[in-house]
Amino acid sequence: MKIVKLPKNKTNDFIEHLQSFGEVHAPQKKGKKSCAFQPVTDPSKVLIGEEGFLRTILPLKKYFHKPVDTLLKFSPKTGFEDAYEEEGNKVIFGVHSCDIHAILSLDRVFSGKYVDTYYFRRRKKVAIIGISCVPDDLCYCQSMGTSFVEEGFDLFLSDVGDGYLVKVGTSLGDDMVSSAGDMMTGYGDSDINEYKRRINEFPSLFKTKVDEADLPAILDMEYKSEIWEEMGNRCFNCGICSMVCPTCFCFDVNDEVCLDGETGERKRCWDSCLFKSHAMVAGGHNFRESRADRFKHRFLHKHQAFMGDFGRPSCVGCGRCTQDCPADIHFVGMVKRIKDDITCVHSGEEEK
Amino acid sequence: MPKPKVGIFSLTCCEGCQLEILNCEDELLDILGAIDLVSFGMAQSNNLDIDLDIAFVEGTVVQRSEVAILKKIRDRSKLLVAIGACATNGGVAAIDYDKDREELKRIVYGEAGDFIPSITPAALHEHVKVDFALQGCPIEKHQFINAIGYLLHGDLPLLPEYPVCTECKRKENECVLVQHNIPCMGPITSAGCDARCPSHYLGCDGCFGPVDEANVAMEYSIMKEKGMADDEISRMMQVFAAKSPIIKGQFKGD
Ligand code: SF4
Ligand code: SF4
Repeated sequence: MKIVKLPKNKTNDFIEHLQSFGEVHAPQKKGKKSCAFQPVTDPSKVLIGEEGFLRTILPLKKYFHKPVDTLLKFSPKTGFEDAYEEEGNKVIFGVHSCDIHAILSLDRVFSGKYVDTYYFRRRKKVAIIGISCVPDDLCYCQSMGTSFVEEGFDLFLSDVGDGYLVKVGTSLGDDMVSSAGDMMTGYGDSDINEYKRRINEFPSLFKTKVDEADLPAILDMEYKSEIWEEMGNRCFNCGICSMVCPTCFCFDVNDEVCLDGETGERKRCWDSCLFKSHAMVAGGHNFRESRADRFKHRFLHKHQAFMGDFGRPSCVGCGRCTQDCPADIHFVGMVKRIKDDITCVHSGEEEK
Repeated sequence: MPKPKVGIFSLTCCEGCQLEILNCEDELLDILGAIDLVSFGMAQSNNLDIDLDIAFVEGTVVQRSEVAILKKIRDRSKLLVAIGACATNGGVAAIDYDKDREELKRIVYGEAGDFIPSITPAALHEHVKVDFALQGCPIEKHQFINAIGYLLHGDLPLLPEYPVCTECKRKENECVLVQHNIPCMGPITSAGCDARCPSHYLGCDGCFGPVDEANVAMEYSIMKEKGMADDEISRMMQVFAAKSPIIKGQFKGD
C-alpha cells in the first residue's frame, strides 16, 4: 500500500486540488450546532481535525440513495422515460471509518439478486476520502467492528499531529496524490511512531462498549421480553432513527399524477419499518400491527436478521439514532440490557 | 369523459384555505381546465347549487345553520373532502368547545351575543361522512393540486401517513427539539408541509393534526421535560386539533 504524508498546513490546498477530480463535498456547519456533508466553496470552512465533528446529520447514503428520488416520468402517449439527470463526479472528503463501513454495507444490499441501478449509477461517480476521528460518548464503532477500515476508500487520512499519513486505496486515489506535487511529502520515524501510538491508544478512548457476541441467539430468546412493549410505549414511530441511519435502506415507491390525471412521475423516498404503513398489505392486514412489534423489528434487523443475510450486523455504531431520537431511546443501552439483564421479564413461555 | 363538477365551500373560518387555492397562480388555469368549478364563493359569482362530483369544504361548524348547509353539500356530492385544520379537527374555533357557549358569547360580544346562534364547534366528521382530508392551517398548495390529479385519475390521493420528523430529517434539518429544546409537535403530527416550521427553527405547532397512532402520552412527557407546564402542553395540543379523535377527550372531561 502506498502511503504519503499531507502536512496539515497543506490540507486546504489539497482540498482545492481535489476539485479537479469532481465537486468536493465535506463536513461543514449546518444549522446552529450541527454539521452536514455539503459542497465546498471555501476549504477553511471544512470541519475536520481538532475543530472537527463526529457525526453529520445525514450519512453519505443521501448521495446514492436520495431521500426523495424521481425515478421515471410516465405518459399514456409516450410511455415512460428515465428521469435521471446525469450527475458529475463527486469527491467526498472527511468520511469516518464507520460511515465507510456503512457504504460497503449498502453496496452489498443494493448489489443483491436485483442490482439497483438507481443506486449504482450515482455511487460509481463518488470518490471517498476517509479520515481518522476521536470517539465521543455515543460512538461504539469499536464494538461493532467498524472503527478501522481497509477498503472502501480512495484515500484515507490518519492524523499524526502535524499532518496526516495518507493511505492510498485505489488508482484514482493514487492519481489524486501523484498530481498533488509538493503538497505531499514523505514520512519519517516520528510519524510512524505517532501513527502506532494513536492506533494503540485508540481502543481505550471508547467510553461506550457493547458486546455483540451471541447477540442474535439472545435476541431470539428474548423475542417475548417485555422490553419491546416498554420501548413501543416510548417510541413515536417518527422515523428519525431510520432516516439518519447510514445503513437503513428501505424505500417506498409511489406515483404522483399531474393535473391531466394521466401523466405523472414515479418517486421513491426513504421509508421506515417503524411506520404503520410499512408492513400493511391489501385488505388492511398488518404484519407488524403494534408500535412494539415495529420497534422490535428494526432492532432485530439491525442486530440479528442482517447478520444472517450478510454475516455482520447492519449497525455500524455511529451513534446517530441515539443522538437524534426524540423519545430519548438509548440504543446502546438497549443492547446492554438485552445482553446483560438476567432478570428480563417475558410475556409468555410458549415458543414464538 | 366530462369534467368533474367541483365545489369549494366555506363554513366558519378565516378562509385561508380558499385563499391558498387561489394562490395556486401558476396552476390555476390547468386546474380550471381539468375540472368544472361550479361553486367557489371567494372567486366567482353565479355559483350553482347542483349535484357535485367533489366538494371541498373548509371551516368549523359553529352555527345551527351551518349544520344544514353542510348536510346539503354532503347530500349532493359524491366525495366530500375536508380542507384545513378547522374542517378536519375543529381548528382554532374549537379550542374551548367544552366551555359554556352562553357564557363565552357574553364574554366576547356582551349583550349582542344573545342573538348569535352559536352551537358547540364541530369538525365536519362530527356531522357528516368525510371521505378524506387535506390538512394544514392553511392547506398546502401542492397537496391540493396533487389531490386533484389523483382524483382525476380515479384514485384517492396518497397522503403521508408518517410524522413531520421524517420530512424534516429528509431535508437534513437540525432537530429543534433534541438540539435546541424548542417544544415541537413534529413527532406526533402528520407530515405534508415539508417541515415548514422546524425548517425555520420554530417548533411544529401541529396544524396538520395528529398522525395515525400518535404517541400523545410520550409527547406530553417530553414537553414536560422541556419545562412546559401542564396547561401549556394541553393548549399546544388542542390549538388545531381539539376535535381530532386522537386528541379529543385526552385533556377535557368528555
Ligand atoms: S427515532 Fe426514536 S422515537 Fe423516532 S422512530 Fe426511532 S426509536 Fe422511535
Ligand atoms: S443503528 Fe444507530 S448507531 Fe447503528 S448505524 Fe444505524 S444510526 Fe448508527
